[in-house]
Amino acid sequence: MLKVQEIRELIKLIDESSITEFKYETDNAEVHLKKGTGEAPAAPTAQPSVVQPTEQSAPASTSEKPEAASQPEKTAEKPAEKQEEAVDTPTDYDHEITSPMVGTFYASPSPDEDPYVKTGDRVEGNSVVCIVEAMKLFNEIEAEVNGEIVEILVEDGELVEYGQPLFRIKKA
Amino acid sequence: MESNRTKLIELLSNHSDTYVSGESLSKQLGISRSAIWKHMNELKKVGYQIEAVRNKGYRITGVPSELSASSLQWGLSTNWLGKNLIHHKSIDSTQFSGHDLAREDAPHGTVIIADHQTKGRGRLKRQWHSEDKHGLWFTVILRPTSLEPKDANQLTLVAAVALVETFRHLGLDVKIKWPNDVFSRGFKLTGILTEMQAEQDQIEYILLGIGMNINQEREHFPEELRDKVTSLKIETGKANDLAHVFHEVAQRLEEKYDTFIKEGFQPIKREWEQHAYRLNEWLTIKTKDSFQAKFVGIQHDGALLIEDEYGKQTALYSAEIYW
Repeated sequence: MLKVQEIRELIKLIDESSITEFKYETDNAEVHLKKGTGEAPAAPTAQPSVVQPTEQSAPASTSEKPEAASQPEKTAEKPAEKQEEAVDTPTDYDHEITSPMVGTFYASPSPDEDPYVKTGDRVEGNSVVCIVEAMKLFNEIEAEVNGEIVEILVEDGELVEYGQPLFRIKKA
Repeated sequence: MESNRTKLIELLSNHSDTYVSGESLSKQLGISRSAIWKHMNELKKVGYQIEAVRNKGYRITGVPSELSASSLQWGLSTNWLGKNLIHHKSIDSTQFSGHDLAREDAPHGTVIIADHQTKGRGRLKRQWHSEDKHGLWFTVILRPTSLEPKDANQLTLVAAVALVETFRHLGLDVKIKWPNDVFSRGFKLTGILTEMQAEQDQIEYILLGIGMNINQEREHFPEELRDKVTSLKIETGKANDLAHVFHEVAQRLEEKYDTFIKEGFQPIKREWEQHAYRLNEWLTIKTKDSFQAKFVGIQHDGALLIEDEYGKQTALYSAEIYW
């Protein structure tokens, strides 16, 4: 099954390519992506019961907006709890912190402590923003740049892939 | 001063069954014979027993019972691990100190060791019980230059193999619980906490934090841990010289690390699997949900390999396992 992040990547790639339609199927999931033509967006093709509400992420905000006609259409069959989804739009960020390894993302130093950072926090190059753990190796990830956290792309306890974006930062 | 003393200890420990003449020591260290004599007196003060025989020279006949940088380095046969060694009687955590020293450019192989930790750390800041002088609590600073950050987690399994071989050498058969806890009869004997500072493609440093239960009696452990943990002494009935155990483990850590860096993970994988705890048994595993799976081995990169009831295999890098 595709991860939210992988779908995001796909949308980005398709958006930049000349492909207008993309379909991916496995045993229990189906993803169908179709690019708008500049006219009214095409209707989702999957069963209505599993159509994902399309949400657009704005800078430092989670408010939903009507979809722009030029945006790619996306339909994904996913478990109900995976509602959080974003179509890649030019959000106001200029740096992404990516995971240096496969592992579990921890937002805080320990379960009963506050997260290292929240959206809107200012960070410096050496600020620790999270921990990624794999095989009991704990990797404290630093921001690497000075700026503001505008988006946190993963949740505490989530499995992350090598190279997966974790945070978006607007450089100061 | 300090480095001359370390060299002196090394020279004497390499000839522990013969005498080394003052003249030969003075030549090899490039210091005067009276300076050698002064060093000998200093060593006696920190607990070494030194025999001096006219016309023959010096011989070490006993090492201090208290741990010190000298006693830990006396008899240490490693090439780089522990050559720079800092001993504390008491410290908050050797990991905290490791971070500080690594940021101040402490060299590869630096060891921070303490008799007692007031804030011994486990995984996710869980407390690690580090009772005064009954175990070995130390951190090794590693600076691998050729290792990619994404492969660094294999080091936790490398360290576990070194620990298993140390315990076997000391007469105790132990197993590794994936990825790196060492168990005896189902009780935890050592814990490893590995922390890394890295950028996308380069490791700044790795702290290998190791806690080994050596001379504890059952009543030394807090009540809530007594049915979970054990010590070398509880298992074998024998007390062990901590400095000696440190030498054994340091030597094997260095050996396994060098093998891993030179030859990759494959030779380590074979050794790891020989000592795997509950291999081919059904376990309860928790990632987001709990499920049952059969533990069938580790993957080429050290990931836990499990199999479901239909024989479908999955590799896990991160999971809670209920053993």
